[in-house]
Amino acid sequence: MIKIPIRVLLVDDEKDFVEMLGLRLEEAGENVTSAYSGQECLKVLKKKEIDVVILDILMPGMDGIATLKEIKNRFPLVEVIMLTGHGTTESAVKGMKLGAFDYLLKPAHFGELTAKLESARKRKDEQAERIRKAEVKLLLRKSGDI
Amino acid sequence: MKTIRLLLVDDEDDFRQTLSKRLAKRGLAPDQAANGNECLSILNKKAMDVVVLDVKMPGMSGIEVLQNITDNYPKTEVILLTGKATASDGVEGIKSGAFDYLTKPIELEHLFNKILQAYEKIQRLDAEQKEAQYRKQMEQQMIVTERLASLGTLAAGVAHEINNPLAIIRESAGWMRQLFEKDELKDVPRHEDFVKALDKVEKSVERASRITHQLLGFVGKSESAVAEVNLTEVAEEAIQLITHEAQNRDIKIIRQMEPSLNSIWSDAYQIRQVLLNLLTNAIHAVNFDGTITIAVEDVGDSQVITVSDSGQGIPRENLDKIFEPFFSTKPPGQGTGLGLFVSRGIIEKLGGTVEISSKIGQGARFCIRLPKHQKKTDEFDESRGESWVEKIKSRFTEEKGEKSS
Repeated sequence: MIKIPIRVLLVDDEKDFVEMLGLRLEEAGENVTSAYSGQECLKVLKKKEIDVVILDILMPGMDGIATLKEIKNRFPLVEVIMLTGHGTTESAVKGMKLGAFDYLLKPAHFGELTAKLESARKRKDEQAERIRKAEVKLLLRKSGDI
Repeated sequence: MKTIRLLLVDDEDDFRQTLSKRLAKRGLAPDQAANGNECLSILNKKAMDVVVLDVKMPGMSGIEVLQNITDNYPKTEVILLTGKATASDGVEGIKSGAFDYLTKPIELEHLFNKILQAYEKIQRLDAEQKEAQYRKQMEQQMIVTERLASLGTLAAGVAHEINNPLAIIRESAGWMRQLFEKDELKDVPRHEDFVKALDKVEKSVERASRITHQLLGFVGKSESAVAEVNLTEVAEEAIQLITHEAQNRDIKIIRQMEPSLNSIWSDAYQIRQVLLNLLTNAIHAVNFDGTITIAVEDVGDSQVITVSDSGQGIPRENLDKIFEPFFSTKPPGQGTGLGLFVSRGIIEKLGGTVEISSKIGQGARFCIRLPKHQKKTDEFDESRGESWVEKIKSRFTEEKGEKSS
């Protein structure tokens, strides 16, 4: 089976972490873009098609939760996996209530991360598929009206 | 009033007997001595509060006896009796540490009052001394508490900072592992050695992150989710999680749950975490073939969970240290020394207490007491150190108040 790369956006203020995890994900066949802050993340999302955002919760400036709200507001189809470093499990729960797909404790197991990435992408695809079908139906009904 | 232990020393038998009788009528029956030597040998056997001492005696003089008493029995007060012509002896006596002196012939009323005064002085000194000792003890306790609190905060801060580099190390090692698994690197010389080293790196990261997570589990939880909690259910859940491990080691789990226990207001998740920690410790203590008993009961305004095991017990010298951070009896790498420290932190945050009792060879018993209704406690751990200190301080003033009233 040919692996279809997941378009991942990696957001963390810790550059070395982003770099290394990025390399690993690339190595595993994903398509990785990096951002080092909430603002940068949103900028990337505006320009680029992304499937899943891996988002650190604790960042200076715009933190993960604020970024998440903005993502869900402006790019509702993009799935978000929260990375929680410092026993901030509560924020992770809050994040999931706000629409994040899942969360991972940092340092996370790579296997766990890729598994979650995969299911996040799956959910996004299914959702996109449903929307496409709904649109087709809508289109058919409209054309039927003519 | 406590009876005053009084010793009357005078070489004149008649005078001594009469005075003794009259004092006895007032409820102050004194012991008697006819000379200095006798006085000291009585003091040697029996502690006295007040000694009424004639200055002019054959053999050892009153002043000599007085000096001996102030040297050897500092808690005993001495009232000197002097003849009219030798009043200067009395002054000398006070300089040497006598409470006061009276000139013969003495009035009983006068002597009686002096004895009472001397006794009051003893009581006052005694109270002062006790208070000083108490204060010192409290101060020491406060220092220990503050040190532990700041140590906890510091450790958590360190853990917090270490987590990020740990994540980087893990990803870097992981990436190298991925590379070594690729076909192109299969034939690199000493391939196995590299992989082995990577193994060690990854295992150590694992170990370090266990420590940081436990520390952060202690401090990071600023908000607890308080809800209705059925302790029997929580205990049951915790038991479920360790059943397998217990079976593997032939450990029998005995439940002593009070049936139909009411729910309490607390944080189920955190309590389960603590129970899991205690049960895991119990399993390690028993090691193989034994029993672990878990009991839940209702005791008025709180509920109590007890976890006891049939393990080897905890030596007395370790009982004090067992809740300290990084105290562990397990070999390095196996225990973080944080389990009980964190557990106690959690229970105290929930307004409860953890107590331990153990004897070598008789296992250990941990007793968690949780209030049925949670009082709002300190939300953040930064304030934790302060709140402990405040608690102790207020307890100190309370007790002081009780004493003086």
